[in-house]
Amino acid sequence: MSGTGTVIAVAYGIAVVVGATVAILVWSSTLRRRSVDRERLERRERTWFFVVLAVMTALLLGTIFFVPYGESAGKGAQVVRVTGVQFAWAVDPATVRAGRPVVFYVTSTDVNHGLGVYDASNRLLFQVQVPPDRTQKVVHTFSKPGRYRLLCLEFCGLDHDRMQAALEVTA
Amino acid sequence: MIDERGRDVARALALWYTVAATAILAVSGLLGVLMRDSQAGLGRLRPDFFYAIMTAHGLGAFLGWAGFAVMGLAWWVLASVGFPVRGAGLLLARLTWWLMVTGVLGIVVSTLLLDFGASWVFLYPLPLHGAGAWGEWATAVFSASALLAGLAIVTWCLGILHTVLGPALHAVSRNWANRYGVAIGLGYLWPRRFATNPVPVAYPVIPLAVIALDMIVATLPLAVLLVIQLVQAFAPSVSVDPLLAKNVLWWFGHPVVYLLLFPAAALYYLLVPRYAGRPLVAGNVIALAWGIAAIANVVVWAHHVYLDYPEGSVQGAINTAMQPTTFALVLPSALSLYSLGFTIYRSSFRWTPASTALFLGLVGWLLAGLSGIVNATIALDVAVHNTLWIVGHFHHMALLNIGLLVFGATYALLPELTGKALYSERLAWTHVWLTFSSGMVVFGLWLVQGLNGAPRRFAVLPHEYDTLTRVSIPFVFVLALAQAPFFWNVLQTLRGKGGVATFDERGIPEPARRPAGAWTVTALEGAIVLVSLGLAFAVGVAGFFLGRDSRAPAGHTVTVTVTSGGTGAAAGDTAAGARVFASAGCGACHTLAAAGSKGTVGPRLDGRALAVSLVEDRVRNGKGAMPSFEGRLSERQIRDVAAFVAQGSGQ
Repeated sequence: MSGTGTVIAVAYGIAVVVGATVAILVWSSTLRRRSVDRERLERRERTWFFVVLAVMTALLLGTIFFVPYGESAGKGAQVVRVTGVQFAWAVDPATVRAGRPVVFYVTSTDVNHGLGVYDASNRLLFQVQVPPDRTQKVVHTFSKPGRYRLLCLEFCGLDHDRMQAALEVTA
Repeated sequence: MIDERGRDVARALALWYTVAATAILAVSGLLGVLMRDSQAGLGRLRPDFFYAIMTAHGLGAFLGWAGFAVMGLAWWVLASVGFPVRGAGLLLARLTWWLMVTGVLGIVVSTLLLDFGASWVFLYPLPLHGAGAWGEWATAVFSASALLAGLAIVTWCLGILHTVLGPALHAVSRNWANRYGVAIGLGYLWPRRFATNPVPVAYPVIPLAVIALDMIVATLPLAVLLVIQLVQAFAPSVSVDPLLAKNVLWWFGHPVVYLLLFPAAALYYLLVPRYAGRPLVAGNVIALAWGIAAIANVVVWAHHVYLDYPEGSVQGAINTAMQPTTFALVLPSALSLYSLGFTIYRSSFRWTPASTALFLGLVGWLLAGLSGIVNATIALDVAVHNTLWIVGHFHHMALLNIGLLVFGATYALLPELTGKALYSERLAWTHVWLTFSSGMVVFGLWLVQGLNGAPRRFAVLPHEYDTLTRVSIPFVFVLALAQAPFFWNVLQTLRGKGGVATFDERGIPEPARRPAGAWTVTALEGAIVLVSLGLAFAVGVAGFFLGRDSRAPAGHTVTVTVTSGGTGAAAGDTAAGARVFASAGCGACHTLAAAGSKGTVGPRLDGRALAVSLVEDRVRNGKGAMPSFEGRLSERQIRDVAAFVAQGSGQ
């Protein structure tokens, strides 16, 4: 699992446990009839509104600066051109060095494709969509040498699942 | 209140829609089972058939079942809160039924018979690049059918607007904009400006009024795209910018999710208070949330294209702007869950199969909402975009929220719609709990696989994911079998086997009083389980024999055609090679006059008189940017395409 994947798994797991606890509390509260202060609950709706607003604002501020848009590689970057066609990737060159940024210029000649790059232990390192006749730029620095796998992550037709290629990263 | 005739009209509409939707569920649900079986290697389908099924399952289950069902139940919700469907509204409601049924039938024909397999989002220009799996007729029939289903959405919206803006609204103003404001609940916030006499609009009306306007705005651009796609199938010179088309698709594609969720919210608002025995706990803030939803709903589409940001486009900026608008849509869900949760909290809630399904549906809503927040966050979406996580997310939404709501509403409302008691509460209990528990496992496994990077829409997943896929199969079967008691229960209820419906003081249907000597429920349950197991097994076996993977090297006859040209005789069928050249995508990179291709990525092949052995070597092993096609093409196909290229390059 990638680092981001682990963060999601932990956060989602905690949220689900909290949610399930609340659901069980609501269920068990119906087993014995007790009074409830409707007016207070209706007033508290406003508090809940602001709680949700605050949580979402915090999440927004905490994540919006991590968008992948407009990356630049700096000096000494290696360049790899990747072209998607139904149902193959053309990767040029197919070998890069580890430890130096790689700028991928990705394009498609026919339909929408998606480029997903996986490491040797099958972790999804990064991905980007590839609309036809446009060039999508993505920058990545491979820390470890090895053989990396390129999959198509946007459904592109009959042999979508076979649209795979390899990228060699040398020390 | 509305008169008996008005109730009869709404009853008939709700029944017609839900019966058709339930039939569609039976078919599209089975298609889903076939797909997961195939991924697990149990009855592996040919890829063209897999993707055709995937397209049919997506549109069928999503729009034809869940969407169609809540659209139909909405007519009954409106009647229940005093809004009769009349005149033009009634005509539109009936027209919607015909358009939707015709559209779904067309989709079935274009996918299952004509092999159209571009997925239900038919990402332009994929429908026009069938790669030999489907042709222009399939694309045309599919586009026309999707257009009919789209029109069904528009006519439904118009019918809903006609009904909610009519005299039953009791709005003081005659101004249409003001009346619409009343219908989406603004009277709770500004009682004087959006005045009603005597009381503000009932809560269940609000989400229906919101979605009815939004879906008209959302659907019209897609309709234009579908018409262009239909024309382009036969006249290739007509075309659209693919990135624009992608935006148009999602301009529709996100709100259409809320075509399911918002009417579902209306049903929760109607039914949960009934089972809790007290009115909805809601103040005026919920109206504010729905006002936000009405606007935000049409400006969030780009969260589906977070990973499209090609150079020289403003897509990245649009995407960034749509993270906060998407977050705004958390508000109506969070407030609805608050209201519904506290309506149940400490109430004397009556736990029947219907109300349990509604309660579990709220749990599904929460689960889908939480995974949705991940998808809505750009920094997190990069890890889960187009993985099975997304599949888990929307199955939580579609089956564990909307689906359980539809089941709950069916059990709760069938008796008042038909006057017949529900046939068996026991079958309903079995159905509800098995659906929830097996669904949790099947969809939870998708979330896990997705976090591990498993791509979605793969006929065959990379082998690393095989273990969990196989683990899910028994639960997939339980989920499928759990639906058998639902169909049987509904059928027997419609046949009047449960007797005449009776209701308690809250309007909740009471269990059927079975005459002595009738079949026992236990015997029936046993029979159903056995029959369904047999059916499932038969379907599995049939799927295996029908759709065994044809891509494995096969065939005993080898056609050797000797052709002159190039540098000598070529072994391999040049005509077959031409087809391989087209379907393997060679032309996208290479220019070859014999194939009519003009690709410029790789070397031009014309006039180079290439040797067959050289071409075979390049296809087999690749070179430089050219990938290896070994394993992707069969030995036979490699020989054929090499023969074709060698011959063509000599001309």
